[in-house]
Amino acid sequence: MIVEPVALANFFTVFFSAAMVILTGAVYALLFAYSRLRQRARLMPLAYVAYLGLSVSVYTLAQAANLFNDTFWTFIVGLMLLGYFAAPHVVWHLCVATHDQESVDGHKPHDEGNPSFIRP
Amino acid sequence: MSALGIISNANLNGGQKLAVKYFTVSLALFGAQVLFGLLAGIQYLNPDFLFGILDFSVNRMVHINAMVVWLLFGFIGSVYWLLEDESGTPVVGLGLGNLNFWIFTLAVVVVVLVYLLIQVGPGELKSIWLINEGREYIEAPRWADIGIVVCVLIFFFNVAATFMKGRFTGIAGVLVLDLVALAGLYLAGMWYTPNISMDQHWWWWVIHLWVEATWEVLVGCLMAYGLIKTMGVRRKIVETWLYIEVALMFGSGILGLGHHYFWIGTPEYWLTIGGFFSALEPIPLVAMVVHAVFDAGYHKLKSSNTPALAWIIGQAFGNFFGAGVWGFMHTLPQINLYTHGTQWTASHGHLAFFGAYVTMILAFFYLAIQKWRGNVWMGSNLVGSWKWKWSMFLLWTGMIAMTMALLISGYEQSQIERAIGGSDWVAYFAAQEHPWFVQGMVWRMIGGWTFAAGFVLLAWDLMTIGKRETRPALVVDAESH
Repeated sequence: MIVEPVALANFFTVFFSAAMVILTGAVYALLFAYSRLRQRARLMPLAYVAYLGLSVSVYTLAQAANLFNDTFWTFIVGLMLLGYFAAPHVVWHLCVATHDQESVDGHKPHDEGNPSFIRP
Repeated sequence: MSALGIISNANLNGGQKLAVKYFTVSLALFGAQVLFGLLAGIQYLNPDFLFGILDFSVNRMVHINAMVVWLLFGFIGSVYWLLEDESGTPVVGLGLGNLNFWIFTLAVVVVVLVYLLIQVGPGELKSIWLINEGREYIEAPRWADIGIVVCVLIFFFNVAATFMKGRFTGIAGVLVLDLVALAGLYLAGMWYTPNISMDQHWWWWVIHLWVEATWEVLVGCLMAYGLIKTMGVRRKIVETWLYIEVALMFGSGILGLGHHYFWIGTPEYWLTIGGFFSALEPIPLVAMVVHAVFDAGYHKLKSSNTPALAWIIGQAFGNFFGAGVWGFMHTLPQINLYTHGTQWTASHGHLAFFGAYVTMILAFFYLAIQKWRGNVWMGSNLVGSWKWKWSMFLLWTGMIAMTMALLISGYEQSQIERAIGGSDWVAYFAAQEHPWFVQGMVWRMIGGWTFAAGFVLLAWDLMTIGKRETRPALVVDAESH
């Protein structure tokens, strides 16, 4: 595995794109969850726009941090894209499953946006 | 139970009486952390300030050690706070727990006095045992190290024996296992070796694993209890998510240790391990945004204790930005080569510790004061609520200002000292004297004073909140449904 240090000119790009990876990831997760929770399908494309922003940020980070110069780091870039995409889906399924169990246990949901009735 | 709004120990169970003692010392040490941080900050701008009387190295050491200890006192207090409530039985060995508190507090006072009275001298085996062990952040002498482990073991006995006797909940199971690690991992910090790489290898077990594994799990348990108490979230859901969180944390957090092993002379495979986990560690944090939105939509944030809930919400944001965004910005080895140990690290450290841990302990302070005053109303339109709102605002504003200022200084340092100057002695001073670095330190000082004002207001608020309230608390506890 090769670790090729970031060029001085790319410092800011690395910091900024790395921050944007996390922030766009959060916006993607936020819009994804809100769209499903409130059953507002029109928000879902915006969630995927945020994910697109995340992909651009990951690509920019990978370029600036010389990650594409090595197979291991290229693999990590792929894993990041996959992980950030899949994680909100997985957590949503877990949320629905745990609250479904709550309904089975006889606890009544108390608001109209009750997610236990929402299917992914 | 005494009248509403009046502080009385009659309102508390045995474990909670012990908890408020821990909270009181914790708050005092928080104040010490702020005070010594201010002194160290002034010395960055005026190096002659208190030179030879109270040196920068000592102020910085007390600033950081006070933080570690006040958070530890806060965590221990928080666990005693929930212990009887959670187990449904009085604390086993409460007398021993009380004795432990006084010994622990006395030991902390002695350690700090020794730090202040013996600031310079030869470093030898005797000084390791009696004065200062010399390891950054865990400078406490060996006798105090052993004392900390013994105190944590007594604390463990109280917790484990109480849960064994009473109700052994999911929160209890995670907590008990975590306390074993809390005591055990600290032993790694006492390993003496003349090999600096090996020394650093074990040192990180305390600095990283203690903080990013055992403390995070502890906060997960406190958060679980806090959500049941403030929002009435069902126990089954909270505990399921606690297990998921612990699995994610141990899955990514333990080997996330690798990003500290990049430059200390450990084998090259740590670059692979550290790089892998550094890149993927924030994913669970980001994914948890989904859970936060889900739960916020489900419970509509109705709360029995608004200040506590506000700090719990602050914990979610602070942890996300401090640990997630600020960590990931400089964690890959390709950039960490230049940022490691600069003010970048200080920027990340300030926001991450405040966001992840301070917020949670402050939430417990507010839970405690509510019950101490006879379970008084602390919902919306609380009498005198401006104090907790302003203290929260000032603490957050001060912390964000310090974080941004240190970020600018660290950015300059990583360029001038590391990338251009090649990290030699001349480059170090060139970076320290650069206007961007100095201006960053000036703004950090302004942030520090703002934070200090927030602390004073917080202390005042904790002494007075609920005093003029006559309404009983809103009941939202799920288990009372």
